[in-house]
Amino acid sequence: MTPASSADTAGVARLAAALASVGHLERTYMEVCGTHTMAVSRYGLRDLLPPGMRLVSGPGCPVCVTAVGDLDVVVALSRLPGVTIATFGDLVRVPSSRSSLAGERAAGADVRVVYSPADAVDLAAAEPERQFVLVGIGFETTAPTVAGALLLARERDLANFSVLSLHKTMPGALRALLDSGESRIDGFILPGHVSVVTGSDCYRFLASEYGVGGVVAGFEAHDVLEALLMLARQQRPAIEIGYRRAVTATGNRVAQEVIARVFSPCDAVWRGLGTIPGSGLRLSDEFRAYAAEERFKVAAGAPEEPAGCRCGEVLRGVIDPPDCPLFGRRCTPETPVGACMVSSEGACAAHYRYRAFDLPAGGDD
Amino acid sequence: MCLAIPMRITATDGAAATIEADGLVQTTSLMLVPEARVGDFVLVHAGFAIAVLESDDATERLALFEEIVAMATDDETGPSAEPDAERPHDPSI
Repeated sequence: MTPASSADTAGVARLAAALASVGHLERTYMEVCGTHTMAVSRYGLRDLLPPGMRLVSGPGCPVCVTAVGDLDVVVALSRLPGVTIATFGDLVRVPSSRSSLAGERAAGADVRVVYSPADAVDLAAAEPERQFVLVGIGFETTAPTVAGALLLARERDLANFSVLSLHKTMPGALRALLDSGESRIDGFILPGHVSVVTGSDCYRFLASEYGVGGVVAGFEAHDVLEALLMLARQQRPAIEIGYRRAVTATGNRVAQEVIARVFSPCDAVWRGLGTIPGSGLRLSDEFRAYAAEERFKVAAGAPEEPAGCRCGEVLRGVIDPPDCPLFGRRCTPETPVGACMVSSEGACAAHYRYRAFDLPAGGDD
Repeated sequence: MCLAIPMRITATDGAAATIEADGLVQTTSLMLVPEARVGDFVLVHAGFAIAVLESDDATERLALFEEIVAMATDDETGPSAEPDAERPHDPSI
């Protein structure tokens, strides 16, 4: 499968040739960003890898790594009279233990998709008789935008706006993946836009403590190939920036300060990875009045993973999507079972949409 | 989810900015990039600009790119600029 449309097709060909000239190199690299997952599948980049080199998808899709128990809380909130759920679009169809926001909406819940957290604030200001709960999902790229929206809400003195923060941060997850030793990871393709906010320095522990290198990559085909080439060429583990036009070592300090002011680190449950200490963000003491889980007490019941769903193993990079027995059969984009198929950036959705595969499970690689 | 698009600031009004790319016009918040000015390219995510893009970086990146593919054959004339119809044109390249 040749790369799909790219702004730089000759450049892609040259990078692919340069990668091929690396020869046989036993390396497994992991990307940890949903947009990279999509780019890799969309551009058919796995077909351009030299023999021995594997690129696996990790827990880079924030919707996919949201725990079922947290989704149950979202669903429970949507059932409260007078409450409107404001959410990013790709959460709407994700199955919770027994429902989804789409299911609740069909049953009469008020669920509104927003492009920007600031839009949710405007909605709340326009409808003071309803309580708006913004579901905050996303990594460090999105957290400052939710924080910014909350600052706007406070500035406008809104009594009917709150945030359910399910935000997570990347470094703890990377550490947990390496600590588990479950599968070989020789290097990371590091997230492009998370790193715009965090800077690349926050990943230095990968090289210094684990001997694992990383390259921050942009999202075009040539960006990812360039990052793979940079990883393959590292003489010793290092953190490098491929996506130089947008990423620096120290990142966006203003955004980091906004995050630090509005949020505090907390433990978080990641689908597939369990509880990772300090990897979540909850509203800080200064903003506790806006925490939806304090304003509304809901009982969510015991979480249930869908039977047979192997999203957790997909998210840890232990299996590829076609290895899941539900993939392409019971679980398709039209009838998704797990989050990895529902989310536009889930590994299973990417695999299904852009790649020819053979059933039964076992894949074609 | 992490989709962020480069767009150019055409006007500002306090922390709000009008931004444009390929004929698409939007408003965005500059709260996270207070240093941004009219004419700057910014990376926009979920209604907020998260970085000002260095217009010089395009040149630097091409140089690095050439260096990295030095081992590939030399007879190609250079990257072709085929516009990707599905993606806004990246004015920083």
